[in-house]
Amino acid sequence: MKLQALIDELTEDLAPVRPRRLWADVAIMTLIAVLELALLFAVGVAHLDMHRMLTQPTMGWRIVSLGLIAVLSGFTAIRSVEPAYSARGPLRWLVLLIAVCVVSGMFMGAMPRDLAGVIRALDWPSGVDCAAKIILLSIAPLAALAVLCRRGAPTDLRRTPLLMGLAAAAWGAFVFVFACPFNDPLYIVVWYGVGGGAVTLVARLVLPRVARW
Amino acid sequence: MADDHWGALMVAAQTGDAAAYRRLLIEVGSWLQSYYSRRLPSSMVEDAAQEVLLSVHAKRHTYDPAQPFGPWLAAIARYKWIDRLRALKDSVTEELPEELAVRDHGEAVQTAHVLEMLLGRLRPAQASAIRLVKLEGLSIKEAAEQLGQTISLVKVNIHRGLRELSALAQEESHEASGPDR
Repeated sequence: MKLQALIDELTEDLAPVRPRRLWADVAIMTLIAVLELALLFAVGVAHLDMHRMLTQPTMGWRIVSLGLIAVLSGFTAIRSVEPAYSARGPLRWLVLLIAVCVVSGMFMGAMPRDLAGVIRALDWPSGVDCAAKIILLSIAPLAALAVLCRRGAPTDLRRTPLLMGLAAAAWGAFVFVFACPFNDPLYIVVWYGVGGGAVTLVARLVLPRVARW
Repeated sequence: MADDHWGALMVAAQTGDAAAYRRLLIEVGSWLQSYYSRRLPSSMVEDAAQEVLLSVHAKRHTYDPAQPFGPWLAAIARYKWIDRLRALKDSVTEELPEELAVRDHGEAVQTAHVLEMLLGRLRPAQASAIRLVKLEGLSIKEAAEQLGQTISLVKVNIHRGLRELSALAQEESHEASGPDR
């Protein structure tokens, strides 16, 4: 088909569209995230002794770190479905932020000195359970981001899925903080890392197929 | 690139102004042909320009009127260019076998069978669009009516379906020419 014929057909097919609004997408994602958090409290799986938990330094560290990572990566992920947006720089800053959060957590508690102490601190049956719950809590934000991705026009099919996975995982972990009974920084870094890493990996592998256009 | 001028035309197109849209597509089409003529073999330029126009059409809601049009278009053109390069890299140039010139009814039947099998592995919307337009000879418009899809969607389905079909055919031929066990 000649270019002119295609132009004629596309013109014939033209219908008014409402331009995508960044803030509308941000509002939708915020609503979904807040609803998930509210649901956690509504079903009663959040800590019963929340006042006491909030006074612990590791709780503050978890809330601030995961909240920051979730908000910043979520905003960048939403922006990255614009064709002309480059996520390269913001992604580097996010990696740096994650590293700072992990390192700062390591200073919050005494590290075990021997292998037996590490194994005890990791408590793998509970850890696997925590990681699984983080994955579960990441599904809703990841699905919402995948829909945004499909509707948008991302041109970087490596970084956009990575950012989306990171944002969904960070939000899942942030919500889980309010139900997680563990405080040991090593346990948190390892098992939250496993849960979040799995979500990010799945997003990196699956979302490019959804996002291709 | 006439950024502001094209941006204004796109904003008008988003509200349904067909005249502005036609003008935009004509100007963008000629810019795309010049863009791809420096980056792709001449036989691929027209197809690449058409693919971008289809993408501009399908993703026109993602253009933010507050932003310049040029970078938006350039990002789409570059994305599609990389896609093409990847396809070029993946496609294998093979010498045609001599037997290909021999008329053989059995071969034709077998080819039709293989084609049907490959079509069966595509998404139904893509397979139906290819069957109607490429095998049964219907026009895009007729196929769109029959399938209940928009014209641009039929084109996209044909385009993507053919690309996938070619990848599947390559996969099949690799398997068939693999070492004997």
